[in-house]
Amino acid sequence: FYCAVLYLIWAYIPETWLFSLGLTYWPQKYWAVALPVYLLVAVGIGYILLFGINMMSTAPLNSTHTVTDNFAKKQRQKKFQEEAIPALRDIPISEVNRMFFLPEK
Amino acid sequence: MAEERRFRSASGVPITLRRRQHSASCRELAVRGPRLQLRSLSAATSAVWLAAYGLFALSENSMVLSAAIFITLIGLIIYLHFVKIDQESLLVIGSLGIQVTSSYASGKESTVFIEMGQVKDVVINEAIHMQKVIYYLCILLQDPEDPQGVSEVVPLFQSSKPRLDCLIEVYKSCQEILEQRKTAPQSN
Repeated sequence: FYCAVLYLIWAYIPETWLFSLGLTYWPQKYWAVALPVYLLVAVGIGYILLFGINMMSTAPLNSTHTVTDNFAKKQRQKKFQEEAIPALRDIPISEVNRMFFLPEK
Repeated sequence: MAEERRFRSASGVPITLRRRQHSASCRELAVRGPRLQLRSLSAATSAVWLAAYGLFALSENSMVLSAAIFITLIGLIIYLHFVKIDQESLLVIGSLGIQVTSSYASGKESTVFIEMGQVKDVVINEAIHMQKVIYYLCILLQDPEDPQGVSEVVPLFQSSKPRLDCLIEVYKSCQEILEQRKTAPQSN
């Protein structure tokens, strides 16, 4: 908050007044306008950049990451217990497909 | 025994699926996209030639016009030979392998054959593709040493992306043949 007040004071008070106060070695007033503009343009480009990064890191259609991942490969089967709900696990895609698409309507 | 059905692709263009049964363990499924339309061809050609004429009017250089003609001809040839896929077909031969053929509009055909030992399964997978989630058929390949893991995924029907109803038909046909290799006695 104090930085904001300092920034406003620096941006608005004319140079001569600051010189008379003894504060001579402060940055040029040009930067008072340039830095916010830089920030806003960076934010705008950040939107586009984030979108692009998301698109680039999506797995392509021919990669195994669309089908499985490290956790699913290393999971261990729990023993089947009678009358208990089966343990939570990653079902392989072949089984899922058979369940969805093979039964006749 | 051949039958043909009409479906739609993911982008809405009409495609046809042709299913032929050569024998009890051999099936061929072919998806045909629409042929090159005269109106899109003439629209593209007129657009390029109008732009070239505009450039010529600005620059008074007649080379622009002949360059435009060359660009149109060469662009059409490249498009027909490398980009426009007319038909993609899948030939499943039980106990031998799966052959995937793409035939281009210029007559070129490119085939890939995958032997049955490498094929783990043919599944319908869904994935994110260009801000859409699409269903696509793919062949899961397995390593001979590791029959439980998936070593590679081969997507099929990439250019004529059929919708789920067409994919279910192809999936059922393929599964009928792939099931036979479980009941058949292991020879190795």
